[in-house]
Amino acid sequence: MQPWLQHRYAGVTVRVVEQERVEWVLLAYRLPREPSTPRIALWRKLRRLGAAQVADGVVALPADSRTREHVDWLADYVLDHGGEASVWVARLGSRAQEEALVERMRTAVAEQYRAVLAEADEAARADDGTRQLARRLRRELRRIDQRDFFPPPERDAARAGVAALARRVSA
Amino acid sequence: MRWATRAHVHVDRAACAWLIRRFVDAEAEFCFVDDPSEVPDDATPFDMRGVDLGHHGDDCTFETILRRRGLDDPVLWDLARIVHEADIEDERYDAPEAPGLDAVCRGLSLVVDDDTALAVTGPLFDGLYELRRRALLGRRP
Repeated sequence: MQPWLQHRYAGVTVRVVEQERVEWVLLAYRLPREPSTPRIALWRKLRRLGAAQVADGVVALPADSRTREHVDWLADYVLDHGGEASVWVARLGSRAQEEALVERMRTAVAEQYRAVLAEADEAARADDGTRQLARRLRRELRRIDQRDFFPPPERDAARAGVAALARRVSA
Repeated sequence: MRWATRAHVHVDRAACAWLIRRFVDAEAEFCFVDDPSEVPDDATPFDMRGVDLGHHGDDCTFETILRRRGLDDPVLWDLARIVHEADIEDERYDAPEAPGLDAVCRGLSLVVDDDTALAVTGPLFDGLYELRRRALLGRRP
């Protein structure tokens, strides 16, 4: 990868840092169709982690020590249940493909943040918010946060909405 | 006895090292490897892919060691609840302590090496054990 792009303007060299490319950890797996319990359990685990399905039996997460460890254990989980699994570390072949995948993941969590914000706003409008609701929405925000690798603008809006609700009900 | 685990220890491995030293092998020496093939012949590997003392079913390695070694101290199982949630985050247990423990261990791993991380987290888990022991006895800490 070329770390620097050199530009010359009127004899002055400007160095622009090329934006870092995302490194992904992929899990390629095949699980027996029956029993279905491990398939469903695996699907739930992947959803909780925020993994993106890139093909049938291939899921991707941005690679860091935490996601790589989770994916390693999931591969073992598949093997333990009679399946086949391999773990890959990869980069997409073009920046456009990378941006498309990032955007897809960002859109998915944005949707989840919007749902939280809608609940917080609704409670504020009806003035029937409770501490339990504030606590539940905070928990939900933490859950979303765990699978939010490319924060959309909706994140700050949802946090602000829940914070406002929490202030109101604890006053 | 020698024990081996993956380098860059995080909460599950730090908790397991503490558990091993306190309840399994007081003389335990730990070494850290990057790859399972680097585990020395005389060392027992833990919290690595494909070894007995790893994740099994829904258990994290801390829980696996408790089961394999027949450790039935309820305080250790209460700590297992916290370690499980800090490590796997699957909401199987109610563990409000978990996100804080996760943050402390994650931060620590950014600034110290593995030996130091275990030296620092040792007293931390001693304290957590004592706190939960008193809580289970129904006493105010």
